[in-house]
Amino acid sequence: MTDSHFCGSPEHRISRRGWLGTTAAAGTALAADMTFLDVLQSPALASELQTRQKRVILLWLAGGASQFETWDPKPGRPTGGPFAKIQTSVPGIEISELMPKMSTRLHQHTSLIRSLNTRIADHGTAYNLMLTGRVGEPGVDFPDMGAVLAHELGQIDSEVPDYVSMYTSTEGRRKGKAGFLGARYNPMFLTDQMTPENIGKLDSISSVDHRDRAALRQLLAKRFSSDRPSPSVASHNTAYERVRGLMASEKLFDIDQEPRSVRNAYGPTQFGEQCLIARRLVEAGVPFVKVARAWWDSHGQNFETHLELCADLDHCMSALLDDLQQRGMLEDTLVITLGEFGRTPNINGSLGRDHFARAWSCSLSGCGIKPGTVYGKTDEDGNTVVDGEIGAGDLFATIFKALGIDYHKEYMLGSRPIPIADFGAKPVEEILA
Amino acid sequence: MPDPKQLKRTHAWRTPNILFSLTRVPDSERVIVGSSDFQINELDLAVEKPEPIPFVGSGHTSYVTGLALLGDTLVSAAYDGQLLFWSRETREQQKAVAAHQKWIRQLVASPDGQRVYTVADDMLCKAWNVGSGEAIATFTGHELLTPQGYPSMLYAVAVSADGKHLATGDRVGHVAIWDTESFEQIAELETPGMYTWDPKQRRHSTGGIRSLAFSPDGKQLAVGGVGRIGNIDHLDGPARLEIFDWQAGQRLHELENSKRKGLIEKIIWSPAADWILTMGGDHKGFLTFFDLQSGELLHQDGNDGHIHDGVADDACENIYVAAHQRLERWTIANS
Repeated sequence: MTDSHFCGSPEHRISRRGWLGTTAAAGTALAADMTFLDVLQSPALASELQTRQKRVILLWLAGGASQFETWDPKPGRPTGGPFAKIQTSVPGIEISELMPKMSTRLHQHTSLIRSLNTRIADHGTAYNLMLTGRVGEPGVDFPDMGAVLAHELGQIDSEVPDYVSMYTSTEGRRKGKAGFLGARYNPMFLTDQMTPENIGKLDSISSVDHRDRAALRQLLAKRFSSDRPSPSVASHNTAYERVRGLMASEKLFDIDQEPRSVRNAYGPTQFGEQCLIARRLVEAGVPFVKVARAWWDSHGQNFETHLELCADLDHCMSALLDDLQQRGMLEDTLVITLGEFGRTPNINGSLGRDHFARAWSCSLSGCGIKPGTVYGKTDEDGNTVVDGEIGAGDLFATIFKALGIDYHKEYMLGSRPIPIADFGAKPVEEILA
Repeated sequence: MPDPKQLKRTHAWRTPNILFSLTRVPDSERVIVGSSDFQINELDLAVEKPEPIPFVGSGHTSYVTGLALLGDTLVSAAYDGQLLFWSRETREQQKAVAAHQKWIRQLVASPDGQRVYTVADDMLCKAWNVGSGEAIATFTGHELLTPQGYPSMLYAVAVSADGKHLATGDRVGHVAIWDTESFEQIAELETPGMYTWDPKQRRHSTGGIRSLAFSPDGKQLAVGGVGRIGNIDHLDGPARLEIFDWQAGQRLHELENSKRKGLIEKIIWSPAADWILTMGGDHKGFLTFFDLQSGELLHQDGNDGHIHDGVADDACENIYVAAHQRLERWTIANS
């Protein structure tokens, strides 16, 4: 059971003992709490971690960002809007002028997909589609991307959360779900504040008492389990360790632990702070972190909205990729930029763009991705996909393959096999490293 | 005297593009419009089916958001940051100036026709010599970022009828008033109700000060925008107008109208300053008149397209409107 949650490749199999040994050898006092994770600011240790396990950060553009104002500009066309396109660091590839920082990083980190045709253009249904990779069906509670990747990339005895989801805005807020994978893979869901609630130690218990109680429980549990080896006893003990780990993970969410220079690099906005928290979490071993930036649903004043939000996205995404790269983590961390759909080619009477799912874009950066590539093409006005059309299932297959996960893998729901990527889904090989 | 209650739309012409800016050729039925196809065209509205006559040159590379006709010289501004100078007679481009680093939002001419003033998202207002095309002065003071750390925008500019004062207004509701000779700021006003930052549901904003206009005597300043928006996915907020005795820093009127919602994009004072006309919209357009004594709504009408710009003739009897895929003429009959 303990081996069932790795991506499969021996080099990425987590050896918790090895990890603990490494840090212990470094002379770090591994206290029972998780404050030791801050030693991961050491580049050497961060590098050690990155060779072992893959991580995912999903930048969720809730409400639906415009492909015209991000990855697939059409300047000069009636649908193109007022923004120019700019040359990226990859000859022949141009993106919107609203993404200047990403334009200089494309060759290093990022691949663009410009040919999503997901057809569904209402928020709720499209959200489910793009976060489960398939159209829902009655009677089956499909897990979302975070739960599946937590299941595939996480470790059963992890002391950090497997799936953290940040969604501050109230519009379009959905918690995410583990579905048939079970509550173990539900997200730690952060909304109004970025520090998890109810994980702190009670003030009435001193730190010494807290540690002593844990030590006593461990002693008794060890004595009990030595005579009674069984999975259920082991699971019981693991649950205690996990709760203790979660209780001590508060500092992971505290960006004041970071040097001022790092915080400045992410900028002053809440999205920037959350991207920094995401980096801290994956660095500490959290396999999946979703940072939702809402709300892009620009039915009115699309251009004003994107002037505001793209500046934030461009800066924070660039800072995140730079930071991951500098720490040697980007090779094993996949950063996905995705929403539930794109925006219409037509510019409406409020200078807005409405929901549009027939020809839109997303980006993948880092782990398993061939940087500086563009897959797919839309017509000159962005109305239809003319080359390389893919759906949500194909995108999921691509994500799984980039992470080294067999996208043909099946979960068993009773006697029914459920493939982790939808039936018939194929990865986009052209953008995979 | 033109009676706002006698407002009537007399003509509407459909256009394939969104019209963002408009200026009128004096003593004629001819107008010049700037649009979303980056082009500038002149139209004679005296004929049944006006044919657009293009201005020719390297042109703009984004939406044309400002036009001013000064004698034979047409000056245009656009989101591409360029200021272009054209001969109206030949309709050929004569000069191009890289005026701003970011979008130029508005352009206004001084009453003597010697200068134009531009405001842009680099948060600068600049004064330009129309004859030479050179910058005379730069007005600084609007913050680059909003309090939440996002880029701000400098949307609106107006000059007083005597040319002595200039007003600029930004996204967060800050107004600066400048002396056009010393180029120094002489007053400032705050209109926080124009800033529509939604801190909880959607975490962005869409409003800001979109229009400014001095009263004919220059003593009052009208500030237009949108009020608190419930759902900022749309322009779902009341059209908002504030009027100040700007020298005293006193707010005289704070007016909102929710029957016809959205941004106030243009403000026109009546010659006698007894009423004021606001134009703009959400997905549709509005023309709304307020009585300046009582602050009461005098009259209101609308059209099918958000109004981006408008001009009146000297007597305020004819109103020319640039809107979403339409050009319109409205008349205000005398009472």
